[in-house]
Amino acid sequence: MSEYAKPEEYGLADLLCSAASREVGDNEIVFAGTGLPMVAIMLAQNTHAPNLKLIFEAGTLDGRPPELPTSVGDARCEMGASRASGLYDAFSIAQRGYVDLGFLGGAEVDQYGNVNTTCIGDYLNPELRLTGSGGNPDINSFAKRTVFIMVHEKRRFVENVSYITSPGWRVKKWPGGDIVPRQQLYGAAFRGGPSAVISTAGVFRFNEESGLMYLDTYHPGKTPSEIRDLCQFDLDISRVKGETAVPTREELRIIHEVLDPDEIFIPKVKKP
Amino acid sequence: MSTDKRITLQQAAEIIKDGSSLTFSGFTIWRRPMAIVFELIRQHRKHLHLIEVNGGSHTEFLAGAGCVDIWESCWVGHELYGKYGANISRKVADKQIIVEDYSHAEMMFRFAAAASGAPFSVTQTSLGTDIHNPEYDMLGKAGLRDGKRIAKHKYQFTEDPFFGAGSQVLIPAAKVDIAVLCVQQVGEEGTVRVNGQYYSDPEVARAADITIVMAEEIVPEEYLRRNADQNTIVSFEVNHILECPFGAHPTGMFGRYDVDGSFLKDFYGRTRTQEGFNDFANEWIHGQNHMSYLEKLGFPRMLKLKANSAMNYAPREKKGGK
Repeated sequence: MSEYAKPEEYGLADLLCSAASREVGDNEIVFAGTGLPMVAIMLAQNTHAPNLKLIFEAGTLDGRPPELPTSVGDARCEMGASRASGLYDAFSIAQRGYVDLGFLGGAEVDQYGNVNTTCIGDYLNPELRLTGSGGNPDINSFAKRTVFIMVHEKRRFVENVSYITSPGWRVKKWPGGDIVPRQQLYGAAFRGGPSAVISTAGVFRFNEESGLMYLDTYHPGKTPSEIRDLCQFDLDISRVKGETAVPTREELRIIHEVLDPDEIFIPKVKKP
Repeated sequence: MSTDKRITLQQAAEIIKDGSSLTFSGFTIWRRPMAIVFELIRQHRKHLHLIEVNGGSHTEFLAGAGCVDIWESCWVGHELYGKYGANISRKVADKQIIVEDYSHAEMMFRFAAAASGAPFSVTQTSLGTDIHNPEYDMLGKAGLRDGKRIAKHKYQFTEDPFFGAGSQVLIPAAKVDIAVLCVQQVGEEGTVRVNGQYYSDPEVARAADITIVMAEEIVPEEYLRRNADQNTIVSFEVNHILECPFGAHPTGMFGRYDVDGSFLKDFYGRTRTQEGFNDFANEWIHGQNHMSYLEKLGFPRMLKLKANSAMNYAPREKKGGK
């Protein structure tokens, strides 16, 4: 591994991208959404996980795009793919259990890793209607692990999300809406759930027994107590391991010279 | 059935009536039948019920223009060029549009059920989420679940009766009147060849009662039949065809042209308010036809979007001129 970059050499988006890419193991099958997740996975593909298999929701299976796609429907996704087909294939493959890791985003997350991308405020009288679920709950329901990449603000790290779009470790059992462990509800279809949330403040993981989020590492410049104050719930900071590893120079070179030279998703740090 | 399936853009829009349920080809900002969408707006179509695997720029145009009463889907936005669907969002807040939320896979499987003549699909997705909150069955709340075109229930839970695999969700077939597709090639008899990802096109074409195919080019049927294994949709599943080059603009088309990102950014930026939408529609839709729209766009801009024929997209390196 090449040497770590100095603080002035990388930006927050670089740090997120690098941290996210390290969640990927080689030979894994990874389902990626549009944006930073896509860059993170392609970074892994170009560094420690050259044999990972990439699935894009719109129907590209095992693609090796040479130029960064702007969305999963993009013609760029298909370059070098094993097969280009459609959503029925992508979702059937996921439901069949092929997917090791899903990379997703969200507007709000709660202490159990439930994620909201549907609306802010009461669903029946929304303050703001957002994009909607897209494949977020599907990928998260089907994959063995899910990593969420999010902006960290106190209004986004909440005790209960406005709307559970994507299931965490404690979910609602309908019709009553009782909160139950995810394993119990999913039964034989249970494969896993949110394994990490990578925010602009730190990296969070989940207690296997309680399903509650804890702080794993904090980004350089932040402190665990500061991050706890940025959550509306009582964040467990007792298990913190230390600072998040910063990007290496080689990772920065790949992000900015190979993957995203046009700064479509990841801005370059301005040289002094 | 007449063997001549050709119709005009205006006729295509006229087949879609006030109150029709409608679905589309493509994915978010790719291969959307925009020329027909613009014609629907010019014809002031009302009360449409959109049932889509996913929404996109076309949804936003129809919603902004007041053509839509119900939007049943999972996602709307302009991807990189506009982070959410501002028109849907505004009209949901004002209660002018009913939104029925499903997950993406649920919508896909609902079309797969309809396409195979089955009344429902079964899946294990999205268990435990508010998508299955009975309080959020919006078509039910509006008293629209008549069990005819709109299912009696939004979903049902059942236990796996065969292998004891636990909770399953049954989701109703997406019964839809008309599918409007935008593709690269269609033959004179209706055979469709999609290049690149076909998204959910085969399922939506089969599910709908009427399928209209707008293509970049109508080609001799015999040409497509020489390599039947490369075709995507069967001739007799298609009722009407029309040729309309650049008909997907500002969305993109694999192998032909890229997404016009600056057009979508401009649309997203300007249509947060109804006044902004009306202004945009007056500039680009009303009083125009497809040819005048392309003239307004201008050939240099279209050339910039033109895909490289080996790569199937427009490489980002600047081209032409110098």
